[in-house]
Amino acid sequence: MMADRLRKIFVIAFVIMFFAYLFGPLILMSVSAFNSSAFPRVTPFECFTVEWFDVLARDATLMEGLRNSLIIGFGVMLIAVPMGLAGALMLTQVNQRLRPWYYTIVISPILIPGVVLGISTLVFWDRLGVMFGAGYDSIFYNGIFLTIVGQSTFIAAYSMLVFISRLQRFESAQEEAALDLGATNVQAFRKVLLPFLKPAIGSAAVLAFLASFENYNTTVFTIVSESTLTTVLASKVRYGINPSISALAVVIVVLTLFGAVFYEILQRREAAATKASEAVARGETTSRAQQAALYADPAVIITLLVFLAGFGTVYFAGTMGVDECKIAVKEEKLQRAAERTKMRQSLEMFKGAAPGAQTGTAAPGAPKERAKGTEGYEGVFAPGNLGTGSDTPPKEEEKKEPEKIESPGKSQFQNIFDPANLQQQSGSKN
Amino acid sequence: MNPANYLRHFFQKNGMTLGLFLLVAVTFWMFILIILPQLFMVDFSLSRNLPPAELGGPQDVMTLEHYKFMIYGSAQEAGSYNTVDLGVFVRTLLAALFVTIFDLAICYPIAYYLAKVAHGGWGRLMVLSLIVPFWVNEILRAFAFRIMFGSAGVINAFLMWAGIIDQPYDFIPNNIALYAGLGYAYILLMIFPLYNAIESLDKNQIEAARDMGASWLHIHRRVVIPFAKPGISSGCTMVFMLSAGALAAPQILGGPSSLWFTQIIYQWFNTGGNWPRGSAYAIILLASTILFVLLVMKVFKVKLGEIAK
Repeated sequence: MMADRLRKIFVIAFVIMFFAYLFGPLILMSVSAFNSSAFPRVTPFECFTVEWFDVLARDATLMEGLRNSLIIGFGVMLIAVPMGLAGALMLTQVNQRLRPWYYTIVISPILIPGVVLGISTLVFWDRLGVMFGAGYDSIFYNGIFLTIVGQSTFIAAYSMLVFISRLQRFESAQEEAALDLGATNVQAFRKVLLPFLKPAIGSAAVLAFLASFENYNTTVFTIVSESTLTTVLASKVRYGINPSISALAVVIVVLTLFGAVFYEILQRREAAATKASEAVARGETTSRAQQAALYADPAVIITLLVFLAGFGTVYFAGTMGVDECKIAVKEEKLQRAAERTKMRQSLEMFKGAAPGAQTGTAAPGAPKERAKGTEGYEGVFAPGNLGTGSDTPPKEEEKKEPEKIESPGKSQFQNIFDPANLQQQSGSKN
Repeated sequence: MNPANYLRHFFQKNGMTLGLFLLVAVTFWMFILIILPQLFMVDFSLSRNLPPAELGGPQDVMTLEHYKFMIYGSAQEAGSYNTVDLGVFVRTLLAALFVTIFDLAICYPIAYYLAKVAHGGWGRLMVLSLIVPFWVNEILRAFAFRIMFGSAGVINAFLMWAGIIDQPYDFIPNNIALYAGLGYAYILLMIFPLYNAIESLDKNQIEAARDMGASWLHIHRRVVIPFAKPGISSGCTMVFMLSAGALAAPQILGGPSSLWFTQIIYQWFNTGGNWPRGSAYAIILLASTILFVLLVMKVFKVKLGEIAK
């Protein structure tokens, strides 16, 4: 009994920890979008602000990337979904012996690393361009075209999987009946198979668009000189960041949540509709309570609560006055800085005074006090402490952070991968 | 059946319009998008890195120099090995393996819980909520981990508040943030195959085993895991391939002194300006990850067809 209960507690704790791992980062990132600190962080939380959303909307490169991402997303949708559909329909028609080969080839883009797909696309069209003697402004070097093609390679395989799973539930007798009744092949396809596949086409299209929209590995190679949302984001994150990226994340998370809830409601409607029609077929009537239960489920309620809480906070904070808070924080910082200078001055005074004071009457007290002073000094100016933020101006940190990540790697790269350098190195070894 | 006959039968069955659509779409996809680019990449990786003017000239010959470079370093040197690239390569594969095992370890209990223990609205909610982080951009997910693990991040703030450490600990150079971020990024690709596999297991089998006195551990080892093996191998393959081929997370979360193999490839294409060598490295990555997966599948006796489900 005891062991059972213990195990149950353990399981629940594990589930909670798992979901904390899943949502913790997203929640923290979302919180940092509302912090007025110039560097994206949660602690210390300075002032509640929505200014980063303004910064986000005014970011021209990001908007340009977004526009390209949307174009590419629709392009991929238009190419990948029909290809996936054709691939799925073809699967049943390919010769038995060839089928495993066929399946392996069309499914392989899912397993091939995105980086490799991007490179092969880039190289292929570049070679073709060379063969045809095309200029750099031709389609062979057009980043948007290359990205659509490169992404479609594997996204078509995703859509194919969606269609295959739908087709498995298709009764081919329906199509045969249509053909027997005199329908042409195209008619049978359009009137029987296509309507059956309609939901799958919808979900494949959504999937294709989303997969394209968030792809980075393939895009970063095929995009050439253009930019998409993800490539802009990546360079922003690597070379200096401000919380407007967190703000973008908030927008995406909220849209995703909306999508998930919408999808859930749709699913439930469909399930309820089939249930109702079955009930009608049996001559029963659906009760009101059943319909009400449709909306009273935890998913919908919790999401609504989250939205309410979010909008409530934004509204509440909007009335509070961000500027006043910022001024207060600034004053506090100035005060702290002043205290620090004072402390340093007094420390220097102690240092200067201590040798002379040793002979004086104050001698026993001085070392003790000096120790105290140094303690405080160390606490404030320890190199590690700079990062913790609470008493550091954000400007400094904003500059510091990207440098720390980027420049060592870059300089190291130049050292290592410059072929000339390598030869030098190996030469000096001998 | 000979090809001409087969083709006629094909068009008879589908009609002209539909048959043509199927044929064109599938041919385009298979050859223009999948096979030819890969072949061109292999061919390209065997060519020398020449300026456009010398293309087609006497210098333009087939060569294995880029593959040799990966192993031996510069051409002049015979006895030494390219320890930097090889080191990064091995470390990338090992780290990807580690990430895979980490994901499997945390996802298996959750998948089992969601498939067999949780039910009703809450179970549905949990499954649905798994999808939300997945649709947040890969880069933003990595960014979230930087906010968390940075020296001014929440984890440091918490650890210092709790008194465990007195100075902020930098998680970036030793790649803790990277592994956590990679594990996070591909969690879903592990959990869904596992969930699907375990869900299709008849609950009666578990109960029968329990009734006959099998211990909790025994049930998992003898009943659940063997049944879920296709799901496990499918999840592991996806996570391994994706983390070995990841680019965004290492760029954002990786320590400055430890590159990921994809970053080297990226550098050859970008600042390195040696596309053929980059292609050769990409092929090495592709071939080794596939070999690795095939090896693991052989060891665990799973077929490819089961994985691609």
